[in-house]
Amino acid sequence: MPKNSNLALFRRGIPQEIIFIFLVVFAVTLLAVDIKMQVLDPARQIVSLGLYPLQKAVMFPRDVVILGQGVMNAAELIQSENEALQRRRIELAQVSSSSAQLATENAQLRRLLGMQNDKSEQPAVVAEILYEAPTPFNRRLIFDRGELDGVAPGMPVIDEGGVVGQIVRVTPVSSEAALLTDVVVSIPVQLARTGLRLIAFGSNQPGKIEVRYFSSDADIKPGDLLITSGIGGAYPAGLTVGKIDTVDRDASSGFAFAIATPASHPDRYRHFLILRNLLNQQSSQTPSSPQNVEGSTTNAAGDARARRSLN
Amino acid sequence: MQPETPVRDALSTKRTGMRAQGTAISSSLAATARRTNDPLTIGIDGRWVWGTIAVIFLISLLPWRVLPYTPDLLLLVIAFWCVHDSQRVGLLTAFCLGLLIDVQSVAPLGQHALTYVLVCFGGLLIGRRLQRFDLLRQTLHMMPIFIVGISITILLTALLKDFWPGWGWAVSAIFTAALWLPFGWLLQMPSNRLASQSLGQG
Repeated sequence: MPKNSNLALFRRGIPQEIIFIFLVVFAVTLLAVDIKMQVLDPARQIVSLGLYPLQKAVMFPRDVVILGQGVMNAAELIQSENEALQRRRIELAQVSSSSAQLATENAQLRRLLGMQNDKSEQPAVVAEILYEAPTPFNRRLIFDRGELDGVAPGMPVIDEGGVVGQIVRVTPVSSEAALLTDVVVSIPVQLARTGLRLIAFGSNQPGKIEVRYFSSDADIKPGDLLITSGIGGAYPAGLTVGKIDTVDRDASSGFAFAIATPASHPDRYRHFLILRNLLNQQSSQTPSSPQNVEGSTTNAAGDARARRSLN
Repeated sequence: MQPETPVRDALSTKRTGMRAQGTAISSSLAATARRTNDPLTIGIDGRWVWGTIAVIFLISLLPWRVLPYTPDLLLLVIAFWCVHDSQRVGLLTAFCLGLLIDVQSVAPLGQHALTYVLVCFGGLLIGRRLQRFDLLRQTLHMMPIFIVGISITILLTALLKDFWPGWGWAVSAIFTAALWLPFGWLLQMPSNRLASQSLGQG
């Protein structure tokens, strides 16, 4: 016999209003705790791990279609990619010859100055986008590599254009990256032209980043290239971040801010590179590593220490 | 709890001797009700209810909601069944599915759960009244509930995160509510068929 709800004469069980109030209070508490603190991540990881096979299963048709398209246009795709790569190879050959020369020169100068050499090879993981996060509050990408592949929170993600973002959460099989344009991300940068050290933040404008907290008479103009400064140790130095669009100088407050466009294209390709060592290895290094030292006075102290250790 | 035969329960919870009579009353009542072709009394198959929720949940796991102004189909379907089958689908279902969507969409835990609970409670409150209306009027009634429910959550999250996400979500909320009409028609297809069948017999 089918259920006929209208035949119920009396309500039984817990009243809906009580359940409603309880669930609303619970949800609001969860919301506040999750936004203000990072304590719920283990629970999220477990649920996420449970959802992963389901997601993989429903995305299977899409993956098959993408694979099919790849097979259909294979010849065309390979040809165009090959041409692009050839062009790139010629460009890079030039760059790499001059860069090798600069590297030896740099190493020699560093030896002369008695500075530690902080450049090291960075093992990286190639990751593919699993999906993009569909919320209005975040600019996030979910990758198909997780803790099992050596990915950890804090690692930078790059593509061929430059820095894409930073890993913020990991599960054993997937990881979540906040894009540069996400409001939670801040990245230490410097101007390639003048070497001015700045900090770039995610912006309220979609697809843009903001550079804040510099004095209104600083030498910075539209078209300037932003690169990572390496300060703080989360990002290696010298990666392209973006290009300045506009500079807004406020004479009354004495401060200015600039809007920049990221150089990376997180919406264009499916594969990205997660740089592996950095924070995790750096924390085990000597604390006097010049890369970790912020400010010119402390930098000088670090140099002096390095010089002493050399003598 | 036996919602199948509530009349019998009400009549003979302690007097077991009258059970047979009670059942007779209940079945005759149900039979009368079915003959009136009242959409209220047409039974809804539980497999259909849970099946549609499961399918829409799986569709929600796909990354199509990245596109702007996309409706929240899962919210729509849960709210619809809260109105039309509150015996099976209730606030707890809404809350749990909301949490799963929170994890999937890397939103703060509780964001979708809160929206789903608010909208479903609104649906439960006016559910009885709503069932007497056709789908167009139901859509008009549900529109403010969807908008208010989603707005509360977005405002709360924006306040906690100190970040305003723009107005895209409002369009999405209106779109979700507007889809009540076509989705309601789809989801009611089996019971409509049952209704026309029983009308033919009567």
